[in-house]
Amino acid sequence: MTDSTSGLKLGTTLYSMTPAFHGREYTFEQLVRKVAAENLGPGLEVVGFQSIKGFPVVTDEYAGWFKDLIAETGLTLSCLGINADIRIDPDKPMSDDESVTYHERQLEAAAKLGFPLVRYQYPAGPAVIERLAPAAERLGVKMGLEIHAPHHTQHPDVLAYREMYERVGSPMLGFIPDFGASARAVPPSFFEAQRENGIPEDLITLAQEFWHQEGDPYARRERYIAAAREKGYPDREIMSLVIIFGLFSRAAPESWAEIMHQVIHIHGKFFDFDDNGDEIAVDYARVLPVFVKGGYSGFMSSEYEGHMWNDADGFDKIRRHHAMANRFMAEAA
Amino acid sequence: MMDHRVVSDNGLASKPGGCTIDVRLPWYRALPLSTVRLEAVEIDGETIDPARVSFELEGEKLRPADLAARTDKWWYVLDSAFVHVDGKETPKGTSHDVAVTISFRPPYIMGLNRIVRTAKTLVAQ
Repeated sequence: MTDSTSGLKLGTTLYSMTPAFHGREYTFEQLVRKVAAENLGPGLEVVGFQSIKGFPVVTDEYAGWFKDLIAETGLTLSCLGINADIRIDPDKPMSDDESVTYHERQLEAAAKLGFPLVRYQYPAGPAVIERLAPAAERLGVKMGLEIHAPHHTQHPDVLAYREMYERVGSPMLGFIPDFGASARAVPPSFFEAQRENGIPEDLITLAQEFWHQEGDPYARRERYIAAAREKGYPDREIMSLVIIFGLFSRAAPESWAEIMHQVIHIHGKFFDFDDNGDEIAVDYARVLPVFVKGGYSGFMSSEYEGHMWNDADGFDKIRRHHAMANRFMAEAA
Repeated sequence: MMDHRVVSDNGLASKPGGCTIDVRLPWYRALPLSTVRLEAVEIDGETIDPARVSFELEGEKLRPADLAARTDKWWYVLDSAFVHVDGKETPKGTSHDVAVTISFRPPYIMGLNRIVRTAKTLVAQ
């Protein structure tokens, strides 16, 4: 479908199969082999602290086994998810020095396993990431800030990174758009799960009204809570819906074009499909052409996250996601 | 979905003078024990006094209150931990209502304190 060396290439993050892995239905190796066998690569993304016990410690023996497995399957390592665990002690956040060391160990693990880039998280802070640029260059591992809802390209937290990137000018620093940040709706399956938990339909309607309004998502969340309390709903019911204001947000898909020259990877977040095979919450017909026409070259990991509220088959979901993405990319080309 | 995963299926075992519950971390990735709390253990409607409860991970037994200091010990997502309850006997083959509540603060998500309670009716093994 796509050129094998440039343009937007597809892939899978094993995070999509969290229930099957956590439930011990598939080992890591079985997941990797199944992704390859079902042609759900070529890109393969892994979350270090999920797939590898003891991460970021990676023994020579494990790294050898890991690289042999990837080579045998023919998959291409696209991205390693690393974490900004600055509150391992909840009462005493890491200093910048400790955080630099903590991140550097994960970068070294990525290099040892053969990943070309890592996904990092915004709590790291621009000052820490700036100090890691030399390590990224030394190790040959790019670092991408995941821009995840409720962030967007013009959010102050993201602008701070953009300014630092501009100043440092390192080719090793980039961005990873997560399409949950440019959604058009809340996934219907989220509300279905809430209905099954007894959340009233009128409260769901109220939450959706506030989700679709303009303005800062957390301000809208507060207005929703106030309005729901005024109507007499108990807090237990009200609070079961508040995560929609953080998990999915409504940046314009076209806004990703602002940072296109710095996009090094994509999280193709998705949840539910309609009868035509189109994703309901994320408008892929609108967002994919932004990247195709913007000249993006790299992987998009299919990232299914409906497992936060149900146990749907991640492999089935990714097959559908790849079919849809191939269709829209062919149209956009 | 993680709500039903704290207490494992077939996760109740009879022990001399008590019982053991097989529990899992209800999250997608490993977390340090310093971010995890064993909030409550209930058997047949009785909330167990924490003084009678211990938490075992990789062969190391901890008091529930000791988890907070363990920034060095990580609970991997595929590993079971074992909650030992002294003085609550569940003879083999008998059925019991078991509920365990675990809370955790993912160290990369400021302000999130996730509380997950799983209740299951289990036959003691």
